[in-house]
Amino acid sequence: MPKNRWLSFVSPLLLLALWELAVQAGWLNRVFYPPPSTVFVTMGELLATGQLAQEVGVSLMRIGLGFLLGGVPAIVVGLLMGISPPFRALFQPIAAAIYPVPKIALLPLIIVVLGLGESSKIVTIAISIFFLIVLNVAASVLQVEARHFEVARSFGAKPWDLFWTVALPASLPGIMNSIKLGMGFALTLIVGVEFVGADSGIGWLIWRSYELYAIDRMIAGLVAVALVGWLISVLLDELERLLVPWQRPGARPPGRSIRRRLLLWWRAVRPWSYTAAVIPVVLGGSIAAYDSNLNLGLLALTLLGASAIQAGTNLVNDYYDYRRGADRPDAPGTNAALLRGELTPRQILRGGLVAFGLGAAIGLYLVSVAGMFILWLGLLGMLVGFFYTAGPFALAYNALGELAVFIFMGPVIVIGSYYVQAQAVPLAVVLAALPVGCLVAAILHANNLRDLEHDRQVGKYTLATLLGRGRGNIEYYLLIGGTYLSLIVTVLLGIAPWLTLISIATLPPALRLVRIVAAAREPGALQPVLRQTAQLHLQFGLLLIVGWVGAALVAGMV
Amino acid sequence: MKPPKISIDNLYVTYPGRKRAEPVEALGGVTLTVTRGELVCIVGPSGCGKTTLLRVLAGLEQATGGSAHIQHDNSARPVKAMVFQGSGVFPWMTVAENVAYGLRLQGVSRQERAEMARHWIAEIGLERFAQSYPAQLSGGMQQRVGLARAFACDPEVLLMDEPFGALDAQTRLILQQVLLRQWERDAKTVVFVTHSIEEALTLGDRIYLMSARPGRLLHEVAVPFARPRDAIALRSDPRFSQLFAEIWELLRDEVERARLAEELTE
Ligand SMILES: Nc1ncnc2c1ncn2[C@@H]1O[C@H](COP(=O)(O)OP(=O)(O)OP(=O)(O)O)[C@@H](O)[C@H]1O
Ligand SMILES: [Mg+2]
Repeated sequence: MPKNRWLSFVSPLLLLALWELAVQAGWLNRVFYPPPSTVFVTMGELLATGQLAQEVGVSLMRIGLGFLLGGVPAIVVGLLMGISPPFRALFQPIAAAIYPVPKIALLPLIIVVLGLGESSKIVTIAISIFFLIVLNVAASVLQVEARHFEVARSFGAKPWDLFWTVALPASLPGIMNSIKLGMGFALTLIVGVEFVGADSGIGWLIWRSYELYAIDRMIAGLVAVALVGWLISVLLDELERLLVPWQRPGARPPGRSIRRRLLLWWRAVRPWSYTAAVIPVVLGGSIAAYDSNLNLGLLALTLLGASAIQAGTNLVNDYYDYRRGADRPDAPGTNAALLRGELTPRQILRGGLVAFGLGAAIGLYLVSVAGMFILWLGLLGMLVGFFYTAGPFALAYNALGELAVFIFMGPVIVIGSYYVQAQAVPLAVVLAALPVGCLVAAILHANNLRDLEHDRQVGKYTLATLLGRGRGNIEYYLLIGGTYLSLIVTVLLGIAPWLTLISIATLPPALRLVRIVAAAREPGALQPVLRQTAQLHLQFGLLLIVGWVGAALVAGMV
Repeated sequence: MKPPKISIDNLYVTYPGRKRAEPVEALGGVTLTVTRGELVCIVGPSGCGKTTLLRVLAGLEQATGGSAHIQHDNSARPVKAMVFQGSGVFPWMTVAENVAYGLRLQGVSRQERAEMARHWIAEIGLERFAQSYPAQLSGGMQQRVGLARAFACDPEVLLMDEPFGALDAQTRLILQQVLLRQWERDAKTVVFVTHSIEEALTLGDRIYLMSARPGRLLHEVAVPFARPRDAIALRSDPRFSQLFAEIWELLRDEVERARLAEELTE
């Protein structure tokens, strides 16, 4: 660790302290120069009312769409310009001429054409970053050393090979750089664009506060912009590390090709464990469809956000399990990539934080659409996800795993997904989520039953280690029984539609599982139980969703 | 009778001068032939056009006059592969990916590729670095990767541009042995450019001596030592030091001339 690092922490703090002091002592007028303490309180208020999240979410959405619209084609055109001289001759003059025009100057023109709505803002971002990225990508292709192409040609590379094996990978660092540049540019721009003709967004918040002379709110907005900018740059740095690993001296590469590397991460985040998160999200959406209306776009975003948080949870858990030494090579269910040294523990942790970041970004947008309740739910979920195995009181190591999973992978997710659609929390939805909660707890319990001996050795407390084999089995039966019982009760109470009873079709495999558990004499026999309980969760959940959606369709037709 | 494997006839290469610079005449009429399975060394002063000659054979440079041709015997095998001066490895590929590159372009299956790459990486002694990127290797190690990459795709002709130039003496000896063994085993045709007269005497069947720029062939020396050769035992052969002295005598004037020319242009 660099010796002078603490200085870089101290200097901003010192500045803030000086500022505070100057205002408190009356040297500066607190109306024009609100002290940090006031700004802090204001930020807290803005957060609590959900306004900050909402404005940031709106701005991020505009940047994101602008990037899709402008950045993606820009990379393609830039690559083509770098590779093909005729294409370059055609586009270079246009790009070079438009590039230096201050793009904010185009805003009036764009507003004339597209009006004051969302599209004018998105298009302004798109156009601005388009030329920036085009020129930078083209330049980075042109800077690829000629000898690399020669080597490839001497081995008989065709134009297609030259593109895929030389031009593209060699200019990836440049492409990443231009994306970073474009992102910085887009952030500056969005604020300016929102100053002018907007009624939402972080830039609007700053401008509006200025008009109202609420300097503290204005500064809070500025701080938020800075934080968002910093977060995005951290995320992009991570992406770069992932895509351009050869520029990192010292580190061994995680995999062979980019595709292999993606595959490695894909396996590391254990996507098959997502059904546990996907089922309740979709269930919440289906119940909303039955009750009122379903916005599919929002459902898709909720799914993506939940998967990202699930991925983050998995990775962070792997990291802490590894650090504690709870997962050993002989222990089942350990992150294989980590153990084989294909990914370093640090990479796993960073990947987890990136996934959490993505989940948080999507979550912020959902907060802006559906309100603060989602924020609290999301924060709580992340907290539980993080402290599941991390920290001094790891839930999973203190026999609270099943309970946490039961609550959070059951009712909480269902309610969150429902709330995004309908902005309400009826008790009926909580009850309707109980069967799914039981089943997901059963998955975890099956895992803990299987690992009972191993967990005892490493001193990990789970309900299974506390209850022992016999009473642990009973817990499993209760969870399976509770699934079907709660389903029948909700139907009898008139909460769930009759159609959801089709989930009972999964009873035979459920009974078979109970028999296997009852007959199991050694951990190996429980190996299939874990997998099949997860399958039961999936099948039961899907049928339940079919029941709700079917009932919604029937109700819509009548 | 089959035509020779490589035939170069009165080859001229002139690099067009950029901006106000004079055009550079790199090769001034080179004529030579290489028969199948022969290992021919080319020795000459720095800047005399050795790399240019190989580049023409590799299809990377156009002849301004004359012709150069390699006969392709078996269309299932690539006709040539080049080991570049200073390795030319791809920084974005791991050692294993670099070594397998030629095979990948030939459409060899992933599994077979991995197999061959492993073999050649072992052959150059870089097993521990198979999954490393070139930035993590020393210059000499990178040079070895370039060597394995050319060997791995099993070409009919190997064009080698000072492949051992950047290596320490011991590694150099080991890799010379690898080359000799491989060459004796499957009768590749090799054109080997080197600065080292000793290396040329150790490896070559024949040695061509080149003049200072514009490069021409000055002399052709037939190497009399019997195969298989032992690189160490050769040094104590009286003919070895005698040939060494002869070649040095022939080259010395050219090296002087090349240095003078360089000083003049500066
Ligand atoms: N692309 C080029 N454009 C202009 N001149 C060039 C180019 N490539 C090489 N030359 C010149 O052609 C001459 C021959 O170059 P070449 O690289 O073939 O020499 P060489 O014999 O391989 O030298 P060395 O032993 O130092 O590697 C040199 O004088 C060099 O300056
Ligand atoms: Mg050379």
